[in-house]
Amino acid sequence: MIRLVAVAVALTALASAWPARALTVRDMLGREVSLPALPTRIVSLVPHVTETIFALGAEDRLVGRTDFCEYPAAARGKPSVGGMVNPSLEALVALKPDLVVATDEGNREETFQQLARLHIPTYLVHATRLSALRDMIARLGDLTGHRAAVAPLTVALTRRVEDVRRLVAPFPRPRVLYVIWPEPLIVPGRPSLLTELIEVAGGESVTGGESQPYVRFSVEAAVARAPQVIVLADHSAGTSSTAGRPAPEQWQRFSSVPAIRAGRLHSVDLSILHRYGPSVVEGLESLARVIHPEAFR
Amino acid sequence: MSAGRRLAFALALLGLGLALVAAVSLFVGSAALSPGAVARALAGRAGVESVESVVTLQLRLPRVLAAALAGGALAVAGVAFQGLTRNPLAEPAVLGVSSGAAFGVVVAQIFGLGLSVLDALGVASFAFAGALLAAGGVYVIAVMPGGLSIQTLLLAGVIVGIFFTSAITVLISLVDFNRLGGVVHWLLGNLTPIPTASLVLFAALALAGFWLILRHARELNLLALGEEAAVQLGVDTERLKRRVFVAAALLTGTVVAFTGPIGFVGLVVPHLLRGVLGQDNRLLVPTALLGGGIFLLAADTLARNVVAPAELSVGVITSFCGAPVFVYLLRSRYRAAL
Repeated sequence: MIRLVAVAVALTALASAWPARALTVRDMLGREVSLPALPTRIVSLVPHVTETIFALGAEDRLVGRTDFCEYPAAARGKPSVGGMVNPSLEALVALKPDLVVATDEGNREETFQQLARLHIPTYLVHATRLSALRDMIARLGDLTGHRAAVAPLTVALTRRVEDVRRLVAPFPRPRVLYVIWPEPLIVPGRPSLLTELIEVAGGESVTGGESQPYVRFSVEAAVARAPQVIVLADHSAGTSSTAGRPAPEQWQRFSSVPAIRAGRLHSVDLSILHRYGPSVVEGLESLARVIHPEAFR
Repeated sequence: MSAGRRLAFALALLGLGLALVAAVSLFVGSAALSPGAVARALAGRAGVESVESVVTLQLRLPRVLAAALAGGALAVAGVAFQGLTRNPLAEPAVLGVSSGAAFGVVVAQIFGLGLSVLDALGVASFAFAGALLAAGGVYVIAVMPGGLSIQTLLLAGVIVGIFFTSAITVLISLVDFNRLGGVVHWLLGNLTPIPTASLVLFAALALAGFWLILRHARELNLLALGEEAAVQLGVDTERLKRRVFVAAALLTGTVVAFTGPIGFVGLVVPHLLRGVLGQDNRLLVPTALLGGGIFLLAADTLARNVVAPAELSVGVITSFCGAPVFVYLLRSRYRAAL
């Protein structure tokens, strides 16, 4: 009996002294990613992944980010490896990452191939639905060993999303034209998270039937769909650049469009809405206020 | 100095220059390694998995080799196209041949060819076919009784280039819209570390094209005297043009397959070399191989470091240097002809 206990104690000691176990996980595109252990040196090539890692309180595991990872402000304290399309591989290697988190929306296939050649595990995320966003938060919680922080985030996210749904439910759903970029006109299609957000916010995207996530659209087609609300995303907030500044006057001239007749042309700084992390709900709420001001009185 | 000794002297000097630029390129980069660390990695005294070893040997070294090869190949292709058309403004990108090759690469990628060596050979074949198609198109458009005039040749090149670039956009938009952004980035011309096996293939194809052009350098000199004169001096001009044409397309296609279209290397380098060495293609072809390597390697070292840690496309830098040279050549040499 004593021997048995001794063996059990020895085994337990062995198990706890054992280096973290190797694990194989599947990323959000279903690719297998083999990790020698739970990663402790993560480089994020995706702004909303960076934001989520901070929201999970796992920032001590994040060693690198891109130039576009600007939220939260503390993220700027992490070294950058360059842009999403053109990161510097050597700056990335110098950070000795044991995992790179990237996305098939914005990073390049070539970068993934180079990382594979360097034997740096790469985990791809793909979150263009609110449900996928919750899934992404949970996966990042697992990957960073911050599982306990997941539920508070996703529960709060779900609650606030349901709050918005409930608030706008009594009202008729206006046809919404969402302008991501004014010139050339770019609008969200069915696979875009924006289309779902418009729906949750109590609107019906007039471009929600398009099969591409981001669609180069013709102005006349947009006008022909008679939007009742037009939302222009302002990308120029906080910069002196005129690129991406909404051009309301371009729309004002279409006085026969219901949205213009009703004075429902809104230009909003929606840089939060275009951040697909946990804070997307703040953008959702501002979008709902624009589409259904009456619901928030 | 005899031609042989001048060549040996120029090659020694350029070789030294290439070694120097390569050394600088190996020691600088956004990973900010100390010179000692790079030296340790190069000497093989750093651990295989260490940062200095991976950055120096797996990232910088293959990229330095790719830059030297691609630059050399493009400069030699430039000399060849210039000799062939008797026009110092001819160059793979200006003639639209690079765009044709890029179209070939995009078609190959749509067929699912990737990065393995066998796939790389397939991609290079498509690029070669594209380059041949574009160069042939330019020739057919520009040829007139009495030869190729400068204006029509340049215009034909511009038109063919625009056509193939638009064809790429159309093709990608129809087939794989999500990749459009990546392809637009690729079209600017970017060097990346190439796997060893593919690098060997790259070198073999480039050297084959180089060898073919070098062998006809003397005949290209005679062609410069005019087609009739060359025929009278015993040159089979049709065969010469065919072979040099194929070799230059091979060089362009190979470079585009491995790095994407990079412009103006074939214009800047031969122009500078002519200023020093004169018009003799027997000197120009071998020196262009080294000179092109120096130019593109220096440009890529800049591309890696000016906006670090992000990277500029090297094609942006070569075009930035090349466009003024183009204008200078156009205004100074061809004022009379235009």
